[in-house]
Amino acid sequence: MLDSFVQLGSGFVACLMPHNLLMLVGGIIVGLLVGVLPGLTLVMGVVLFLPFTYKMDITPAIILLTAMYVSGTYGGAFTSILFRIPGEPIHVPLLWDGYAMARRGEPAKALGWTLVAALLGGLLSAIIMVALTKPIAGFALRFSSPEYFAILLFGLASVVALGRGSLSNALLSLSLGLLVASVGTDAIYGSYRFTFGSRLLADGVEFLVVMVGAYGVGEVLSRLERGYAGKPIETVAGARTELPSWREIVALKAMFVRSSLIGNIIGIIPGAGATIASFVSYGVESQFGKRRAAIGSGIAEGIVAPQSAATASVGGALIPLLALGVPGSGATAVIMGAFMLHGVQPGPQVFLTSASMVYAIFASLFLGLLLMAVIGFFAIRPLVKILDLPEAIVSGFVMVFCFIGALSIRNNVTDLWLMIGFGVLGYLFERFRFPIAPLVLGVILGPLAEEAFMNSMISFGNDWTVFFTRPIAGAVMACTLLTLLLPILGSLRARGPRGAAPVERAEAP
Amino acid sequence: MLGSAISLLRRSILIGIVLAPAIVATPWSGARSQDRYPSRPIEFIVPWGPGGGADQLGRMVGKQLETIFGQGVPVVNVPGGTGATGMAKLLAAPADGHSMAVYIADTHALLAGSDARWKLEDITPAAVMLQAPSFLFVAENSRFKSWADFEKEARASPGKLKVATLGFGSVDDFSLKVLESKGVKVVQVPFSRPSERYVSILGGHADALYEQAGDVAQFLSGKQMRPLLVFGTTRSESFKEIPSSHELGYPVALPQFRAIVVRAGTPPDRLKALADALAKVAASVEYKKFLQDQFADPDSFIGADRADAFLKAQLEEMKRATATH
Repeated sequence: MLDSFVQLGSGFVACLMPHNLLMLVGGIIVGLLVGVLPGLTLVMGVVLFLPFTYKMDITPAIILLTAMYVSGTYGGAFTSILFRIPGEPIHVPLLWDGYAMARRGEPAKALGWTLVAALLGGLLSAIIMVALTKPIAGFALRFSSPEYFAILLFGLASVVALGRGSLSNALLSLSLGLLVASVGTDAIYGSYRFTFGSRLLADGVEFLVVMVGAYGVGEVLSRLERGYAGKPIETVAGARTELPSWREIVALKAMFVRSSLIGNIIGIIPGAGATIASFVSYGVESQFGKRRAAIGSGIAEGIVAPQSAATASVGGALIPLLALGVPGSGATAVIMGAFMLHGVQPGPQVFLTSASMVYAIFASLFLGLLLMAVIGFFAIRPLVKILDLPEAIVSGFVMVFCFIGALSIRNNVTDLWLMIGFGVLGYLFERFRFPIAPLVLGVILGPLAEEAFMNSMISFGNDWTVFFTRPIAGAVMACTLLTLLLPILGSLRARGPRGAAPVERAEAP
Repeated sequence: MLGSAISLLRRSILIGIVLAPAIVATPWSGARSQDRYPSRPIEFIVPWGPGGGADQLGRMVGKQLETIFGQGVPVVNVPGGTGATGMAKLLAAPADGHSMAVYIADTHALLAGSDARWKLEDITPAAVMLQAPSFLFVAENSRFKSWADFEKEARASPGKLKVATLGFGSVDDFSLKVLESKGVKVVQVPFSRPSERYVSILGGHADALYEQAGDVAQFLSGKQMRPLLVFGTTRSESFKEIPSSHELGYPVALPQFRAIVVRAGTPPDRLKALADALAKVAASVEYKKFLQDQFADPDSFIGADRADAFLKAQLEEMKRATATH
């Protein structure tokens, strides 16, 4: 391991060469922009930039794409917190506590927390990556469909925390989300569901359409109803960049570590990326965190948990890519494409054949995180100032971004009509104090969970006990059950001694 | 029309915001004469998401066509419905040669089903750009040393061995059905995401994997996977030691192919201009290297004159494969 850190030193030297540094800065800035624009997903952004790397050397090429990936998990936090439009599905959990904190008059503070969360989560996972890439890689291979299903079910179960107090409302909203997600062509057998003979519905409903519609358009409609009276956030004029104090950070150190570890581990699992990491981490916090009762009301824990997990998943996703040649997420699949274009095959042999390049990439992750924090720090202030503009104008821009976002998903005008429809639905939900979050959660995670479930059934001859008898799946399932039972037990007894033990089981690989 | 106009508008907005360097890189032609083809940028529909094999081909070919035509050839990803959504977009555009699409074997397989949303007569291929045979792979440390081992166990305990595929109703499914009709019955486990599919055999969750060699090249050179069988009439040039399906008496050879199609009814002179340009791309050194990297057949290219017959023959074989069950 000592050897690893010596090589990392030379990696830093390589990173500071002008050409590499330029790529790093460029990647960070573009990644932030891509993150901010809803609809222009992280994967799409990385793909759009892949052609520009054809003519480069491999090291700056990979540094550029990795930097985009890292800052792309952070950029969307701005729009989530300030405008309630998640730039990426990753940032949906930030709508709950982040936006709540901003509405309470502390937008700069909320952004400060995301900055610290992204930085610390990222750095922690980068350290894990350097130290453990070789030994940890084999762990990823133990995950199969039952484990995916157990993790996704846990993500869905976290909905009990999102119900604004009413479990039944949350479950109703979640079911509606799952129903919307099941519209279209079934992923396994290709049969049409709830399409009513319509071609339009046969392709299903994109979750981004639901997400952008229910949150972005719905919010604008709510403001329209109030006649754009008053500023969205009252004390915005006095807002300045507010990093949390050292004491505040230290007070949350345990949950920083917990969220980063969750993000890192989920990042390692192939197929599960920053989005699932963000949801699961928020779910864990809302069930087992110290201040779980206050989550959703705009507390720091609800911001730190999803953001540090999302950024920590980057370091995790790079581990199987480099050590096994298995991309852990959509974005790393594209980065792998860049490796292949330059004639380098990621895999166990890459540490022998191109060690200096690998460590330059590792080092670029550290530098990239620091740069991202600096750029993010200075971006907070001008961005918060946007909120000083009249609400009607901001709403106009929000609508433009919603339309661009919904159209760019698959270049289909029908998606715009669907988005408007979900906007009206989101508005009605808001109007009648019905939770939107479970709906969006169901639409995003539902199809993934369904596929994992179906594959488990096909693979294990319809034996449903595999979810409980396989050790990793069983441990996660136990957490899920606790999540669902705790509120019921809690109402029976004031507070039981349970709850602490399963958290550790969830973290231990 | 409206859709494509908006998509161009959107494109310029996005390029303006994010991709400032792209304007420098894209050779937009200033001259616009109506009698010349192409008189405006050609929309290149990739009916799959970014990053996959179809997307790689689209971006590679699109870039070279821009140089040949002196017009932009923007790639538009329209994923969904195993390519059906992208095909619907192609068929909604005018048949004037300014819209084309990547058309792959898995999309073609939909025509063998009962409820395809278009007919073979609706499209005209301009070229088949790539053909690559499919293989059954196992993990390097698998207990199956050869196809004979695998076949023996599959016959002895039918429906026990698991093979990871793209999904039901796919080309993968058809090939396995032909094996099943000859007594080699396996369980098909569908994984729509490639990374999960590959991990399934590396992690021992499935016994074999149905895939083209180019997609798992890094595992082959990294000594993590090895082939057992190639689905083809002859053995693979790259893996001469492993048997082909035809020599073992399994009458199936459905290669993955990636063609470029336009709407039927496109004026013949424009089709010819496009086909000639694609022939030029296929002859380039860069393209030949691309084929080699993909473990594709070096003689993949089929010109517009014979491509139609190729698609018809492939569809017949797919229909036969489903009927054998």
